[in-house]
Amino acid sequence: MAGTRISERLPPILDRAQAPVAFGQRALPRLAAELQNGERSVRQRALAALRDLIHDPERAYEAIHHGCLERLRVLLKDENASVRTTTAEVLHLLATHSVGREAFLRLDVVSSLAELLDEPVDACRKNVHQALKMMAELPAAVVCMVSLGLVPRLVMKVAVEPLDIRELVLSTLSCCVRVDALSTLASDGVSVLKEQLAHASTNIRRAAASAMMAISVPPEGKVKICEEEVLPVVVQLLNDADPGVSAKAAGIIMYTAVITRGKFQALEAGVLPPLLCLVESEDRAVCVNTLRALTCLAEAPKARAQLLQHLPLLQTRLQHPEPIIQRAAATAIQVISWTP
Amino acid sequence: MTSTLQPYSETPNETYTFSSRPRPVPPRLKYKEHSISQNEGQGIYGNIMYDRRVVRGNTYAQHVLPGPDLVEIQRQQEARKRAIAKNRAKEQFRSRTPDALQGRKHTDMQTELYLEELSDLTEDTSVGCQTDAFLDKPITPLFIPAKSGKDVATQIEKSELFDFDVEAQPVLEVLVGKIMEQALLEVLEEEELHALRTQQRAFQDLHDAEMVEVERLEEQERRRHEEKDCRIKQKRVVLEKEKETAEKIAARVFAQHYLADLLPSVYTTLKDHGYFSDLVQRDIETGFLPWLVAEVNSALEKRQIALTVFDILIQNVTNWRRETFQIVNPE
Repeated sequence: MAGTRISERLPPILDRAQAPVAFGQRALPRLAAELQNGERSVRQRALAALRDLIHDPERAYEAIHHGCLERLRVLLKDENASVRTTTAEVLHLLATHSVGREAFLRLDVVSSLAELLDEPVDACRKNVHQALKMMAELPAAVVCMVSLGLVPRLVMKVAVEPLDIRELVLSTLSCCVRVDALSTLASDGVSVLKEQLAHASTNIRRAAASAMMAISVPPEGKVKICEEEVLPVVVQLLNDADPGVSAKAAGIIMYTAVITRGKFQALEAGVLPPLLCLVESEDRAVCVNTLRALTCLAEAPKARAQLLQHLPLLQTRLQHPEPIIQRAAATAIQVISWTP
Repeated sequence: MTSTLQPYSETPNETYTFSSRPRPVPPRLKYKEHSISQNEGQGIYGNIMYDRRVVRGNTYAQHVLPGPDLVEIQRQQEARKRAIAKNRAKEQFRSRTPDALQGRKHTDMQTELYLEELSDLTEDTSVGCQTDAFLDKPITPLFIPAKSGKDVATQIEKSELFDFDVEAQPVLEVLVGKIMEQALLEVLEEEELHALRTQQRAFQDLHDAEMVEVERLEEQERRRHEEKDCRIKQKRVVLEKEKETAEKIAARVFAQHYLADLLPSVYTTLKDHGYFSDLVQRDIETGFLPWLVAEVNSALEKRQIALTVFDILIQNVTNWRRETFQIVNPE
């Protein structure tokens, strides 16, 4: 039966793989000290315990406060692959919190992570890419990454990595491109992405299409896309089964069709019939992007002539409950019915 | 009627047994008292053959209960006697009371109920008993041996026994609670992330749509602007051209007009300016006249020099004269 006296023995160790976590505020300083321990098993167990604690934002803040990041940086260079893998995972979990991201920028953890891009162990690389992807959502971090010259390396990695890591790299690239497109364009990103657009896996196609859409936002990107003849491939993607992919494909077309050259290339690639099929789609992103693409294309007189026949279809979209779709449909109708 | 008790045996585990020697029923003594018969004990027993109580003869056809025996008659007589004796005793003890005083009343009261007869005669009844021919031995009663040793009692209270359910419940509650809590946290985290991502995606879609609209309008604006600029430039060029042409025409006309009487005026002007000149005249003018003038100049210069020299001379003389005059005069 339970007694009232506190036992003198230490509490039982429930999990051999994890270091026992001390109570309250003592937990993280002790773990931080254990991370510096000479024995590898102690470090591994401390890392495993840290990985479970870091999910909580308060613990993450405490960990950073007690200087775990410097030690983790040192551990990234450890010889043992499992230690590196776990360290990368802990860094990924820290990067999910905003205090973690700021600390990464302050302590320049990104460069240490970048050194691990050529890591032979798959799991470790995956965690590194996950951490980089989390960081890439912060514009300041993208600036840091660009200054470190990570973008060309990532572009090169796209072709060689296995599927799940490739998806992460593509997401990282699309976030980077949103902030700074020039570096990607300079490292020939458009052609690499074009290859990925035709991949068999849906996730890869979606990530590649999203990156391509981000590239097509600045004017240089649009020009590059027209040069590289990406639009025929994109038109193929419009008929894709996954709504995410077709939404992004419509997005690429809508951005590229803003410039005149893009309009004419798209019309040559026969983009109007698939777009008209997609207008009826239930997915909001697909519908809006298609309407905007039609609006951009309708500025060309040839397209306008064709689209005048399909005005009733667009008018049905005016009754949609979402305001953005109503606006897009109204703009499209206005542009199509414009006469000089 | 008495029976000897069996001596207490040392084997209490055996079943209880009772046995007594069969003994005859003591006779009914006609002439002696019962108490005396009792005191005398075992010696008196009568011959059964001469006992009146035993049924004689064939009993198969007898329906009638045995008639009043002597014993019964005796009993009745005795009862009668007793009653008479009682009455007499009552008469004796009844007192003749005086009459009641004023205000009081005598009541008769029977105190029989409260009276107790004291007599030497003990009431007795005679009971006949005949053992059943085929009655088996009765069940031996349970042998309960006498108590020996110490009495020790123990009582288990309600809360002393270990009840697994009661003990295990808090432990289980904590375990299950912790597991559920951890699971809930993880699920909440995932849900939160999912919700965040969905929101992010939705925002991104809206952002993209608006962005493309902005870009399209910008592009449109830029094109229109360009177009406008182009047209304006064209127009300006055209205007320039027209102006130029007009000016050219005007200039031409003016020039023609101007140049119409240019020729005679040119000639006149040239002639005025002496461009058409006689060679000799020119020669004279260019060669002779400058020389002449130069000669005249030199002649005049010489004259001037001479005059100047004269002037100087005169001045010197006059000065000298003045000086001499002055020397002479102030004195």
